[in-house]
Amino acid sequence: MNRGQKEAYKRDYAQAKKEGKPFFPYAVYKDLIVATLAIGFVIGLAVWQRIPIGEPVNPATTDFVPRPEWYFFFLFELLRIFKGQGALTPVIMATFIVPNVLLVLLLVTPFIDRGPERRIWRRPIALFSGIAVVFLLAYLTHLGSEAPAGTEEVQLENLDPQGQAGLDLFLANGCLACHTVAGVGAPGPGPGLTDEGERGRGIEYQIEHLRDPQSTTPGSSMPAFASLTDQELEDLAVFLEGLGTKYTAP
Amino acid sequence: MSSSDASGDGRTGTTAVGTTDIAPKKPGVKAGEATVDYVDERSGATTGLKWYLFRNIPAETSWFQTLGFTAMMLFGLQAITGIVLAMYYKPDPASAFQSIEVITNDVTWGWLVRSMHRWGSSAMIVVVFLHMARVFFFGAYKYPRELTWVTGALLLVLTMFMGLTGYLLVWDQKAYWATVVATNITASAPLVGPFVADILRAGPEFGPNTLSRFYSLHMLVIPLGIATFIAIHLYFISFLGIAEPPWSKRRFRAKREEQEAERERAARTPYGRREVPAVGPPAPEREPARAEDGS
Ligand code: HEC
Ligand code: HEM
Repeated sequence: MNRGQKEAYKRDYAQAKKEGKPFFPYAVYKDLIVATLAIGFVIGLAVWQRIPIGEPVNPATTDFVPRPEWYFFFLFELLRIFKGQGALTPVIMATFIVPNVLLVLLLVTPFIDRGPERRIWRRPIALFSGIAVVFLLAYLTHLGSEAPAGTEEVQLENLDPQGQAGLDLFLANGCLACHTVAGVGAPGPGPGLTDEGERGRGIEYQIEHLRDPQSTTPGSSMPAFASLTDQELEDLAVFLEGLGTKYTAP
Repeated sequence: MSSSDASGDGRTGTTAVGTTDIAPKKPGVKAGEATVDYVDERSGATTGLKWYLFRNIPAETSWFQTLGFTAMMLFGLQAITGIVLAMYYKPDPASAFQSIEVITNDVTWGWLVRSMHRWGSSAMIVVVFLHMARVFFFGAYKYPRELTWVTGALLLVLTMFMGLTGYLLVWDQKAYWATVVATNITASAPLVGPFVADILRAGPEFGPNTLSRFYSLHMLVIPLGIATFIAIHLYFISFLGIAEPPWSKRRFRAKREEQEAERERAARTPYGRREVPAVGPPAPEREPARAEDGS
């Protein structure tokens, strides 16, 4: 808005105020009605659906499904999209770049859109981007809300004893909450591991990654499994390296 | 001193209005008025409140313009239910989960307060988001309300952080591991990430002390931040006045009147020629040159 438009706006607003009504009671009564309805709605929900008690924390076993509150699902879903599999999907996109770009865009909106027009049907760009953001957030939230698949049997061929031990550890430690193997498990935030062995990471790398995922994959959001013993780590690593090469899905 | 003559000036707006002219005031009413006057004389509180309540706003306001107030009331509800929960909650990894069980199963109405606090957090996010959407589609963030928008955006972020920090306090598996992931993500951010994550976790590892950290953030730091920004937000709103909906009847009427005047003017000018309106800055009034000016 240039100076003249600002002056025109101020004059117009002063006129609106002059022809206006007092805040109390003309706006206050509406405010009170809607706020009362909202609070009543919250009480109704609380009575209708009591919040249950979960399972107590046990840092040793990780057979959990890490789910944030629903209003973080859209960020959670980003972790599934950008999981560091290819050059175009670095993890840092989901953990840092996209959220911060969104935040900055939110903060500077009034400094980008400075035109004098306020009627939404005369602001096609604002109309389009507003609706697009709402739909995108709703869509990502919906995708993020899809519960991970139940605990079906993981079926792999050619399992030797060490592979079996690795698979047991894999199930016991809740790796399926973030990874799929042979079609079982959650499709994110971690990559599918059905063919992990074909990536040729090597045993050393796998152990290192399990102990401290950030050391091999900067920006990883996978928890560290440092509490596993050396033997367990090796079993897991052998199992992971065999996936897709030795232990194949039928 | 002045309290005795305060009742004589026929003030309105106090509870005693109806009885003033008929009978002498009851002593209780008199004392009440005197107190109000005493405080107002020293703080301007009543004057300020009257200004705030009876200031004019545009006549046509939309129902969508109630959402900000609703968000504020939901924040109040969260504060009240949160205070009640804090009376029973124990921020210690050994007993946190158990204290939640006690609240849910044993404390009278405890289940209701906890359920309201949890549902209320979701409701507040929804309402704040809808409020933001209405501000966006009304174009109400434009001049002169840019800074109102910025403080509002910070309020949205702070509200989400309330959800993040509160989630861990129940100390169950789901929340624990979700928060592990969240702090790992924080740690992975470039430059300041590791430091922020260390502050959040109270150390390089996610552990028992993390709970106290989140407790303090959830109970003190973030609510204080929200209260402060709500105060600034409200100051801006009352200073600037609430925006008129862009499709108000008044504005259409003003526009139509303007166009009619234009047409009339065109009709009055011969040969359909439009009168050229006087635009541009008025010719500067020239000061007569004075002798002292030299040149
Ligand atoms: C909280 C979710 C989560 C859990 C639980 C989890 N992971 Fe991951 N995992 C990830 C993410 C995110 C990545 C991608 C970033 C990375 O490579 O670290 C990943 C990557 C991997 C990779 C690929 C590493 C590479 O570079 O090839 C392997 C192998 C892996 N995880 C194994 C496991 C095993 C084994 C477990 C269970 C002990 C497990 N994960 C549990 C999230 C998780
Ligand atoms: C805790 C969260 C918030 C509270 C309590 C709050 C409160 C309020 C209140 C009471 C109003 C008065 C008008 C109305 O109710 O619509 C208002 C107006 C406004 N809010 Fe918020 N708000 C919050 C979040 C936000 C957010 C997230 C934004 C945008 C990013 C925002 C931007 C604005 C703007 C620009 C106005 C002025 C609108 C106008 O004058 O028409 N607010 N807010």
